[in-house]
Amino acid sequence: MALTTTQRKILVALSDGQFHSGSDLSETLGISRSAICKQINTLDDLGLKYSAISGKGYRLFQAIELLDETMIRAHLSAGVVSQIAAIDCLDVVDSTNNYLLTHGQTQPALSQICLAEFQTAGRGRRGKQWVSPFGQNVYLSLSWQFFCGVTALAGLSLGIGVCLVRVIKALTGIEVGLKWPNDIFWQGKKLGGILVELTGDMEGPCSVVVGLGLNRALSDDEATAIDQDWVDLHRILGHKNVPRNKLIAELINELIPFMAAFEQEGIGALINEWRRYDCLVGQAAELQLGNNIISGTISGINDSGHLLLTQANGETQAYNSGEVSVDIA
Amino acid sequence: MDIRKIKKLIEIIEASDIAEFEITEGEESIRISRYSANAVVPAPVMAAPIAAPAVSESQQKAVVEEHAGHIVKSPMVGTFYASASPGSKIFVNVGQRVSEGDTLCIIEAMKILNQIEAETSGTVTKILVENAQAVEYGQPLFVIE
Repeated sequence: MALTTTQRKILVALSDGQFHSGSDLSETLGISRSAICKQINTLDDLGLKYSAISGKGYRLFQAIELLDETMIRAHLSAGVVSQIAAIDCLDVVDSTNNYLLTHGQTQPALSQICLAEFQTAGRGRRGKQWVSPFGQNVYLSLSWQFFCGVTALAGLSLGIGVCLVRVIKALTGIEVGLKWPNDIFWQGKKLGGILVELTGDMEGPCSVVVGLGLNRALSDDEATAIDQDWVDLHRILGHKNVPRNKLIAELINELIPFMAAFEQEGIGALINEWRRYDCLVGQAAELQLGNNIISGTISGINDSGHLLLTQANGETQAYNSGEVSVDIA
Repeated sequence: MDIRKIKKLIEIIEASDIAEFEITEGEESIRISRYSANAVVPAPVMAAPIAAPAVSESQQKAVVEEHAGHIVKSPMVGTFYASASPGSKIFVNVGQRVSEGDTLCIIEAMKILNQIEAETSGTVTKILVENAQAVEYGQPLFVIE
């Protein structure tokens, strides 16, 4: 599903978040006023909030910076561009990860990237919905082919988390934390999440699709479906704008070299950097593993990136799976 | 036991997360341990330290005894999922025909969702693990005949 040419034209015209009268839009876009009125109604389907006030015209509640492949590419480093097979910017998709899993063509040492304005079925871990309204946030997936087998990929999740923390810090100055293995948190609120999906030979060549969702600007309305404390970049920054296409480009600039080097270098020094961002260490927590719940205190991670949990009897064990929840009480 | 066989076993174990391994073939038995008694043993990676091995041992035995069909084993320590998400359709049921390349299950480790595909075509005659169960490396998951 994609925007029609007219819808896109109207969105671009309204993207500044200012009022535009029907007659002005009609003139600049060369469409009749009634057609404009009709087209603007279709923005509801995308979940876009706007006001239509007679005498003033139309205005989007929030300015939007639409995805722009040219702008993204302009911010990419030359080395990274040469490692990208394609950047697909979509208007509407079920999920960017699904798109790459079904349409992706894996080529060694080349990444395919998918971005979307809107996800109708954005996914988090275990089918949890990732709230994905139109035009404001980052829904980015990228693929990479590995040959080392799954066992060697254990550190990948953590490394991707470190990449995100670095980019957010560099671009916005915000210092965020990581919840094992790679949820992005800011002051106890979720800012972003990562979902890695792997297909192929578990002991040989396999393709990895890394999906990340990063909240840039969510409205309270849109966020009602989120079942935990959340935050977005604009709220943290007191509504200072974070340029969306630049943010995406910087994420790609950080992630591609990491993925490209991972097979040779593994998690390496990033494991200690991850530890600096750890926002769980020392906390009482519960780890849910299937139907079992293990209680204890988080003792950080081991050198393979596995979670260390110390139980009441003093025994520390490492885990590579399970859902951590922290006792807030 | 053939020395080449032993060498191969060591290679397989080295590439895995297994700490210790024992195999019996006729009257011969071999035990391979990666860590000497004096070595510093890292905390073992446990998908579920609670009685999981006991279950898998008996199941493993049963499967080996029958020896019919192709056994799909877990390529890693992790959590087994029978469907893409809770509430969605289970990938495969007993009695279902699968083709090579079909997704059988997902095993999650380090929040990486690994899609396990059928290596052969056939009919699924057994599913040996429960949804959301912790699984060990090499643990039998399915029998395909």
